Amino acid sequence: MRMPPFNLHTPETLEQAISLSSELGDSGEEFDWVAGGTDLLPNYKWHLNVKPHVISLAKVSELSKLSETHIGAMVRLHELEDSDGVHPLLSKVAAMVASVMIRRSGTVGGNICLDTRCFWFNQTEEWRESIDWCYKCDCGTGADCRVIPNQNTLCVATYQADLAPVLMCLGATIHLAGPSGARSMPLHEFFELDGKTRNVLKTGELVTHLTLPDDSGEWMGDYQKLRQRDSWDFPEAGVAVAWKLGEGGAPAELRVATTGLESIPGYHDEEAATILGDWKGRASLEDLAESVRTAVKPVLNTWYPPSYRRKMVKVLTKRAGSGLTEV
Amino acid sequence: MSGKKKVEGYRQQSGKLPFPRPGSGGSRRTSEPRDEEAIAASKAADGHRHDDLITGSTIGKPTGLIDSRWKVTGQAQYGDDIRLPGELIGRIVRSTRHYARVLSIDASAALELPGVVAIATGEDAPARFGVLPVTKDEHAMAVEKARHVGDPIACVAAVDEDTAREAVRLIEIEYEDLDAIHDMRKGLEDSPEPIHDRGDYHIGSSNVQKRVFQEFGDIGGMTENAIASHTSDWLFAGANHGFTEPHAVVANWDPSGRLTLYTPQQVPHYVHRALADVLETPMHQINVFRTFVGGGFGGKSDPFPHEMCAAILSRKAGRPVRINFDREEVFWVNRGRHPSRIEMNLHADSQGRICGIETDALIDGGAFASFGHVTTYYNGVLHTAPYEIGAFHYTGARVWTNKPASGAMRGHGAVNSRCAVEVGMDDLAEKLGVDPITLRLANLLPPHSATITGFRVTSIGMRECLERVKEASGWDEKFRKLPDGHGIGIGCGFFISGSGLPIHWEPNKFPHATVHLKIDMDGGVTVHTGAADIGQGSDTVVAQSVAEVLGLPLDMIRVRSRETDTSPVDLGSYSSRVTFMNANAAISAAMNIREKLLEAASIVTGVSSDTLVIGDRRIYDKRDPGIGISYLEALHKAQEEKGALVSSGAYRTPPMGRVHKGAGAGIAPAYSFSAYVAEVKVDAETGQTKVLKIWAAHDCGKALNPLSVKGQMIGSCHMGLGQVLSEEMKYGRNGHLMNPDLLDYKIPSVHEMPEVVPIIVESNDSEGPFGAKEAGEGPLLPILPAVCNAVYDAIGVRTSELPITPDRMYRLIERRCKKESVEPSDLHSPRLEHSELQGVLESRAAEHAARDSARASMEDDSPYHNGALFGFDPLVPADEQDDRWIVSVTPSEEYVGSPRLAGSAWKHAERRHGGGI
Repeated sequence: MRMPPFNLHTPETLEQAISLSSELGDSGEEFDWVAGGTDLLPNYKWHLNVKPHVISLAKVSELSKLSETHIGAMVRLHELEDSDGVHPLLSKVAAMVASVMIRRSGTVGGNICLDTRCFWFNQTEEWRESIDWCYKCDCGTGADCRVIPNQNTLCVATYQADLAPVLMCLGATIHLAGPSGARSMPLHEFFELDGKTRNVLKTGELVTHLTLPDDSGEWMGDYQKLRQRDSWDFPEAGVAVAWKLGEGGAPAELRVATTGLESIPGYHDEEAATILGDWKGRASLEDLAESVRTAVKPVLNTWYPPSYRRKMVKVLTKRAGSGLTEV
Repeated sequence: MSGKKKVEGYRQQSGKLPFPRPGSGGSRRTSEPRDEEAIAASKAADGHRHDDLITGSTIGKPTGLIDSRWKVTGQAQYGDDIRLPGELIGRIVRSTRHYARVLSIDASAALELPGVVAIATGEDAPARFGVLPVTKDEHAMAVEKARHVGDPIACVAAVDEDTAREAVRLIEIEYEDLDAIHDMRKGLEDSPEPIHDRGDYHIGSSNVQKRVFQEFGDIGGMTENAIASHTSDWLFAGANHGFTEPHAVVANWDPSGRLTLYTPQQVPHYVHRALADVLETPMHQINVFRTFVGGGFGGKSDPFPHEMCAAILSRKAGRPVRINFDREEVFWVNRGRHPSRIEMNLHADSQGRICGIETDALIDGGAFASFGHVTTYYNGVLHTAPYEIGAFHYTGARVWTNKPASGAMRGHGAVNSRCAVEVGMDDLAEKLGVDPITLRLANLLPPHSATITGFRVTSIGMRECLERVKEASGWDEKFRKLPDGHGIGIGCGFFISGSGLPIHWEPNKFPHATVHLKIDMDGGVTVHTGAADIGQGSDTVVAQSVAEVLGLPLDMIRVRSRETDTSPVDLGSYSSRVTFMNANAAISAAMNIREKLLEAASIVTGVSSDTLVIGDRRIYDKRDPGIGISYLEALHKAQEEKGALVSSGAYRTPPMGRVHKGAGAGIAPAYSFSAYVAEVKVDAETGQTKVLKIWAAHDCGKALNPLSVKGQMIGSCHMGLGQVLSEEMKYGRNGHLMNPDLLDYKIPSVHEMPEVVPIIVESNDSEGPFGAKEAGEGPLLPILPAVCNAVYDAIGVRTSELPITPDRMYRLIERRCKKESVEPSDLHSPRLEHSELQGVLESRAAEHAARDSARASMEDDSPYHNGALFGFDPLVPADEQDDRWIVSVTPSEEYVGSPRLAGSAWKHAERRHGGGI
């Protein structure tokens, strides 16, 4: 494997980074942001959608702030895992990402913006040539999608990052900055249902940080991850369930989110609201699990077959929500 | 029986030979007289023939490998660490088609790229090669056809890697696609364009590369006598070795016109031969230099196209060429475990005897033959022990498909079918209402026996293995008694300790292994051996053997094993032969030197050399240790007249085996045995299997280096766990290999690896060096069935597909739940109530235990023939006593009329017999 050549830019402030991105954008030069590099650089080695410029955020120290309610985009996953004051659920999920070494380098922003994955796509250049390329990286050929054939308008590569469902369940807001200013939105509105575009980031825009609402400390919950090995592997399915208890010990608020099943993480607010409206304890959890199972539509492009992943979503939801029936 | 028995074999049956003793096979029909003295006598009632050589200095002591400091300090040079001045970087252009005719290769644009020095294609070296002389079907680069995605088409040498990669992109290849075959079952059928053409020997116009038919014993009575039968259809996914170091090679033609090839090879000698063929250069002009090997496991034992490519490019460019693989290319070369479809049926009679084993194995060879000829036999013949059986029916076929080639991988050919047999034994025990360990203990062959196929088995530690894992694991308290979802299971193994019939050799002309020793006045001993240390510690074993015989510390032994220019020929590190054969050769060489030292000491001390002993750098009178001289004094005295002391020692196998076609496959001078117990936890709701602990007992004869033996056992567990739990070469709907990388080829991580309790069993083999047998491959076999059987104990489902990834497991759980109308969380573990047979088997096991210990120490080692358990005279093969016991290696017309899956390969006739196009 050889890294293809690219121009590396290392701005030291957010302002410099954005002006650099806007300069490149104005001159029509394509570029990628790189944070920890654990996702982008392996993809570059495989010549996946390589750009001539890469802007590194490693020196932009203002993105590394971490507090109970503020998580900078450049906070490393292991910091999330080890630092005091981080929501316990967030620490737990951070510790489940990939491997120890990747967590030393990988960042929160990078994990949120993780490229979608597909076994027709995450392959070497020679391998992809042998299948005449695919829609996600068509090398100028206009190739069809290999998962859903005979179409080249939608990419169904799978979003396989762990942090997003937990952050969504904790009510996180994502903050972006770019040449046309800063903007914020609830995290679940950040993603766009297509494996190629993936999210709302415009050219030159980047994630600066996430914030959690002040009451996030009152939320509890769990994250369950399906994978072959307890290290390295991306989630084949991941379910986060979080709740805030009301009076009498019943859940007053309930959120459910999933990952590893579609091109974006799933935020199952309707399912959660329906079940919460008529909360009956254990039976309701069963109903919730079933409704999440029917809500997700995985395709055959990761290690496990989609039928199995879907069935496991139900089991994972029940397990992630098991704390609800113990109260 | 008075009349002449009908002979259904390629040659003739034993006892009816035109020559007095059966030879060990090969192309010659007759054995030639040989110097029996060269095969050291191996009989000693109260000890081992090497016991008098043991000085107690190193053998049997846990010893760090002598090259370990090189490795842990990062100074060991692996394939890609070799840097020669002026080197070029080579890259291989690989096929993007599964199966295609190569119409044209246009390298003009690549040649114009600055920095590109040489480009070669198949035309530059059209000679075929292959590891087995009978199946040479590979080229350095595609000649006419590309046979799988990743097949080499051309190669490029350039000043740096970027340029080489760019040149690869610029080479235009025009293909004409042909109909590719991906399903191994399709390979059995006639094809308009078979993947290879074997001329007159082609089997019909199919893609069958090798087929085997064997019937031994009372085939007719097999099902008739059975009161319980196990039937199963297995599907095993292909597995890759997953060694750490990707293939890498450096080739350099020096100014004197000689080629040196630096390569991490398990078998330098075969590369040496293949290079000579392909480059049309005599062997003496080629030096194969084995670098440190970053793991092999069988995956570095073929001569490879990239080794040829480097040599061809270097010759064209006049500069050294280095080729280093990406991990993906390792998967294209592959030579891993064959994807297999195995039908396995076992039958037990009213006495709880195994009255028959029927096996039908179809194995997917991928695009090339590699070791497949042997693999096809091994899938059958290596499960005719350790149990005494009433009948053995085997049909095997290996087919070519348009996938990366399968080949030899740790436990070569034995792993999958052994798993099927051992799971079958577990199921038979269940059906008979007996404990599976008792069933095994009551059906073992004793020491010094002959299997139904005629393998001569010397030492057998199987019983001790079973007894020790049973005790260590607390089997009786756990089996069928653990809580739901928890289970415990047993599996056994049997493996060759060195192939009795070498691949590339004239067994009557050359020894299997040769070791040279040289000692000069400094006292250090230089050992020249060609045995390839691939991390298993063969350098250490040979050093230990020499140190032991000469009574020297290990640091006085220097091993030179790297270059074919200086080392004697060794057949390489495969078939678990190195310790057995090479250490035996080393002992012979060292005995030779020792004699000279004792003679010299005798002259100085005046004590007869018969009463002199050697130990700790001193030679002294054993009756009065005060009389003696130092090792160096003796050495210098011995050197007075002749300078440096040199000696050569060799080993070859004794004559063994029967004479039917294929009788040579699976014969070995000794066999290893093992029994493992695994304890697992299965999550019924997700199908996830977690192995909690493994108790592993392996009979290695004598642990020359217990540290290494334990390491091999633990490493085997890890490798076997991979195959049983998660490792799988996945092929997509278009036949593409979907996971040629280590993220998606799921080798177990440290989290999946349970505690392993290694238990070394020493049966003290009469012919092994200091009693030793192999410990490299056999230890892998039992782990697969042990886990499968433990899963059944935990959750009551029997798998017949590996790996048991959670999705597959969950499917089986769902099936059981549906049948019983319960939820996964309500599934119960199976329970066992002993039948009356349990008592019968227990008393037979006790009788046999007494029989075995008597046989292990008796002086007469005439074999106990398989069949005695069924009432025959143990001194004569059962087929010579009863007409119902047959030996047949050709299928009857009746069989061909309704064959099993792999057996259907026999529907075709070879072209020379009128088959095919």
